[in-house]
Amino acid sequence: MKSYILTRIGLSIPMILIILTIVFFVLRVLPGNPVLAMLGPKAPPSVVKAMEHQMGLDKPILVQYVDYLKNIAKGDFGHSTVTGMPVLKELMQKFPATLELTIFSMVVAVFIGIFYGTIAAYKLGSPIDISARIYSIFVYSFPVFWFGLMLQLIFGVWLHWLPVSGESSPFMTPDPIHTGIYILDAIINGQWDVLKDSLEHLILPSLTLGIVISSIFVRMVRANVVLTLSQQFVVAARARGVKEKTVLFKHALKNALPPILTIMGLQFALLLGGAVLTEVTFSWPGIGSYLVNRIHSRDFAAIQGTIVFFAIFVAIISILVDVINAWINPRVRY
Amino acid sequence: MRKFLSLIIAFFVLVSLIGGKAFAISSKNYIIIGTTDKISSLDPAKGYDYLSCNILQNIMEGLVKYIPGTTKIVPGLAKSWKISKDGLVYTFYLKKGLKFSNGDPINAKVFKFSIDRVIKLKQDPSFLLSDVVKKVEVVNDTEFKIYLKYPFAPFINILAFTVSYPVDPKVYSKDKVYNGIPVASGPYMVKKWVRGQQIELVRNLYYSGKKAKTPIILVKLYRNANTLYIALLNGEIDVAYRTLLPQQFAKIQKNKHFISMVGPSPFIREIVFNVKYKPFTNRKIREAIAYAVDRKQIVKDVFNNQVTPLYTLIPKGMWGHKPVMPHHNIKKAVEILKSLGYSKSNPLKITLWYSPSHYGSTEAALALTIKNQLEKTGLIKCQLKSAEWATYVDYWNKGVMGMFLLGWYPDYFDPDDYMWPFLASSASNGMGSFYSNKKVDELLLKARKVVNKKERAKIYYQVQQIMAKDVPYVPLFQGKQRVVAKPNIKGLLLDPVQIFRYYLLYKK
Repeated sequence: MKSYILTRIGLSIPMILIILTIVFFVLRVLPGNPVLAMLGPKAPPSVVKAMEHQMGLDKPILVQYVDYLKNIAKGDFGHSTVTGMPVLKELMQKFPATLELTIFSMVVAVFIGIFYGTIAAYKLGSPIDISARIYSIFVYSFPVFWFGLMLQLIFGVWLHWLPVSGESSPFMTPDPIHTGIYILDAIINGQWDVLKDSLEHLILPSLTLGIVISSIFVRMVRANVVLTLSQQFVVAARARGVKEKTVLFKHALKNALPPILTIMGLQFALLLGGAVLTEVTFSWPGIGSYLVNRIHSRDFAAIQGTIVFFAIFVAIISILVDVINAWINPRVRY
Repeated sequence: MRKFLSLIIAFFVLVSLIGGKAFAISSKNYIIIGTTDKISSLDPAKGYDYLSCNILQNIMEGLVKYIPGTTKIVPGLAKSWKISKDGLVYTFYLKKGLKFSNGDPINAKVFKFSIDRVIKLKQDPSFLLSDVVKKVEVVNDTEFKIYLKYPFAPFINILAFTVSYPVDPKVYSKDKVYNGIPVASGPYMVKKWVRGQQIELVRNLYYSGKKAKTPIILVKLYRNANTLYIALLNGEIDVAYRTLLPQQFAKIQKNKHFISMVGPSPFIREIVFNVKYKPFTNRKIREAIAYAVDRKQIVKDVFNNQVTPLYTLIPKGMWGHKPVMPHHNIKKAVEILKSLGYSKSNPLKITLWYSPSHYGSTEAALALTIKNQLEKTGLIKCQLKSAEWATYVDYWNKGVMGMFLLGWYPDYFDPDDYMWPFLASSASNGMGSFYSNKKVDELLLKARKVVNKKERAKIYYQVQQIMAKDVPYVPLFQGKQRVVAKPNIKGLLLDPVQIFRYYLLYKK
């Protein structure tokens, strides 16, 4: 098991390195001067030159590249050209909000995916099954920002049930902040009104993202459960007179889970991409909003840092998923 | 499973029973302002975009300031001032006992430190001071002198702008831009700043002027007009200032749950020609394009009549304004183009550049409308190209674009700021036009030195006439400020110098 984990980690390193390289060079090939974006069009050329020197942008590109890799290896993601703060510190401030959103979206997606998918598989060919298939194609094609806007319109503007922007109402943030995840902090502090407020703010964004992602899960679960339901152990279980519900959820679903789990892990990357759009639509103060803000100001360090952060995050998740899979199903290891 | 579900439900019922209490802070005590603008820096030496400056204008104060709703300058932190006869020395006398929001004193030394610092840091707005200020000399605690390099009539207006605001030498480093929570000298101070999300302002208890009317102001930043609009409709913000789409604003105006206001703005938009870029090196081609542009149609079709046509660079309402540019005349445009040898089979081929989001979501429609107007002559083939803002800035500095759309906010409220940066040889490359005319240079320099307003206005008339002949720019329209608020919000003021004053707002 240990060697398996180590191999998985070892294999992730080249992947991250490739991403680092692509990000670095693509950003530099694109037109647009970060110094001009930072100082504004009215800056005199001498100041621009001095700034370029200070940021090391006048060095040969390969030297810049090596410096950049060295710094990342040391955990130094550079300083934002907009705020002058260390990028890693800024990312850590924004990360809890993104984590909160992605976890809740995942819960929504998994919940819909497993129930809808399993039932559709069980009632193969019935209207429920057809609706599930239509649902997944239909929902998968929803652009996240459009779907978010629709939910905002219906539950916010028309019904006035739920807030449409931000992570909390004004002056309703948990105090003190422990983790940065508002729901957790509110529970730790026992601030129930803050918890209620945070949950209300979380509903629409996580539904938006969760529902869009769920489309893939519904299909995956359905296909896998259909497969396991035709297996002999299911027939055997039924023959022994085991309750249908138990057959479905305990026997069939459980055995269909490992491949689903892998896919879910991989969906995390998609989830983070979707989180960027969801965060922008709902003014959610996470890494996605941060990234979009910084792209507009050509903040090299921040853009690079965010993408590397995402890459490492996805790599860790996929290692975790693999390890869990190997643990559930030892055959994977060999 | 059922047990688990009922546990969750029980938990939520419990939460909603215990929770749902009223806000800890009464809603009367705060106002939430929503905007699509961004804050880049709250260091007066660096902040130069609209919202950064506007926040500074609410938390800091300079030597002088404008009377709200006017362009008249009155003392701010200074009690009074004297200008030497040759216009080269400004002596300021400070009010006594001035303090920053952290209790540190504001004295003559602070002002010297702040001005020297801006010049030394060489950030975006620093040229406003470094171009004219020779040195600052402290006389005593409340008196100091500013020496200018040459007489500069609009200097007092620069002192009212954010770049001249004092900063605390104990907190702000002399050779580094400050990124922390600003130390305030105005009606408000920053309590909490979540970058890219929101900023919370509370009353500055050390402020010696009139107390801000509402204890807390929360400025929330929205990604685009749609998210701002939805938040407004859902009642999550009290005031929406900058910037809803024209159609959204028109809809809100009919909605009786909101009040809306329209006011003047010193913001202008123009087409820039790079006069060193073929074929725009030819004055006649620029002139033909100026004739072909129909501002009235732009204003109506693209902006729902929420802006006004502009026929010179100096906005209407400011002294020195003279509408010199030719009005829409397609026949004239065709005539000129024909005389240059262009025909239906051999049209003039040009490219119009624009930046899709920097000036709001209407920009693509604006570019398309101009393209269609030019092509209506039948003798022009116009291609559209766009680039995001950072790239766009890079392009015009390098002279890559021959004809492009640009806009301008003044740094100080004086015609000089609408003439010098555009037309002076030393400045026009910064605008991407590379225009140079000796006569214009002479006149502009002269206008800077003359103190008499009437005489200066005369010089600016002359300059504008030359501009109309040379056509390095086609001024298009002048913006308007628009604000929407809930009906219980009072004290909204759309100022001609476009300072949105949070400290006058209150809830009824």
